[in-house]
Amino acid sequence: MRNCVLVFSETQKKILTKTNSFKMDPMDSLENLASGLETVAVNRFQTPTVGSGPNESPAIEILRIKEQMSNQCFEMAVKLQTGESSRFCNTSDAEKDLADYTNALEEAKITHFNQSLALHRMQVWHAISEKLKQRDPEAEAMRGLTIRCLDLCSQIKTNQQKSFELQDEITVLQKQRLDLKRLTHEKMKEMEELKKREHPESEKYRNVLQKGQSNLEKYQRIVTITQNVLRGIIIASKVNWRNEPKLRDIAMTLDDILISDE
Amino acid sequence: MSLLKPFSKTPEINGANILLVENEEQFQQCLAETIVLQNMNVNVNVRLARSLPLPMENEKSRPRIDLVVFIINLTSEASFKSAETSLKYLDPGYFLGKVCFVVTKARSAVPPERLIAVRKLAASLHCPLLYAEDQTTEGVTTTAHRLLAILRVTAGLIPMATSLYLSTLTCYTLPSDTDQLNFD
Repeated sequence: MRNCVLVFSETQKKILTKTNSFKMDPMDSLENLASGLETVAVNRFQTPTVGSGPNESPAIEILRIKEQMSNQCFEMAVKLQTGESSRFCNTSDAEKDLADYTNALEEAKITHFNQSLALHRMQVWHAISEKLKQRDPEAEAMRGLTIRCLDLCSQIKTNQQKSFELQDEITVLQKQRLDLKRLTHEKMKEMEELKKREHPESEKYRNVLQKGQSNLEKYQRIVTITQNVLRGIIIASKVNWRNEPKLRDIAMTLDDILISDE
Repeated sequence: MSLLKPFSKTPEINGANILLVENEEQFQQCLAETIVLQNMNVNVNVRLARSLPLPMENEKSRPRIDLVVFIINLTSEASFKSAETSLKYLDPGYFLGKVCFVVTKARSAVPPERLIAVRKLAASLHCPLLYAEDQTTEGVTTTAHRLLAILRVTAGLIPMATSLYLSTLTCYTLPSDTDQLNFD
């Protein structure tokens, strides 16, 4: 475990020295810092395995060789262990056990990784807080960054508050709109009901109207027939109706074009 | 019978050894050159062989082999047979992740039985099966990269992984026949 701390502090130094170049925008330096930490975390805080080729520092090379040898020793130890406890079982049993063991191994790896992440997170925070208490230009830069972060956070808070209030107002308005919609729906339904309800009363009116209309038709037919008859009489009698004023009035009414309901 | 054993010799410091076994000795040459050209921070030692068992004369000077790669040419039956017979001269300890099969010329018109036989062999031995493109340089480089990735694990360069663990992830599993039918 000593090696992990050693590597970490080496990389820590590398990461912390990057904040010295203040020519960049503080956000850029934060971004570099974050990406540096990310690569270190992805490499599980151990030496990079691909390596930078010939320009590797001897310290990292020795660490790498040491890790390689410990890994090889572990493999040989495992082989010895299997050699000691040799029991006979068929392959299907072995394969079932294999699946269980690989699952257990995966879970152990995951918990180990999470715990080492948490540990390193604590280490980073401790290192940052220690740094902030000091008085060198790096610490000044970090303090400036933290103050800026705090300002941004308070701005975020106020903006969020405003957005929540606006959201509440929107919700109230939407409720009101829903109420109005509901009321209009109810009114529409009442109107439709009223339209239907007219029916029994209008039934009587329709009957009366029907009767009246039939009467009217009857009388109109009578009038038409009488007029035709009178017309016939006057024409057949060959009387000069233009000279007699009374007969002329009657004949003029006869010549009205009757509007018949045909 | 001279078996090739994985743990019978002490490992070298800062070294990784790979053994390429091929009956025709065509692909292994350019693959070996490409592997050696890759930029690794360990000393990669590539040994070539036609088949196992390896000659007794080199027994003393031969280092510990971390990865044994069998290159099978699908167009020739002899290649497959030679690989199969060579498997007998390999200690069972190698099959826990230190053996890999590489198949070349899978694109050419070969009888599918041979490919199925190779697949069954890889599946029964729980070894990874790689398909290599040997005509183009990119294909050779890709194969070299993949073999080097496996070699890194078997030589112990990856801190939290051993070859046995990797074999549980990379071993070839036969696709069941029902998968082929459900493709439509």
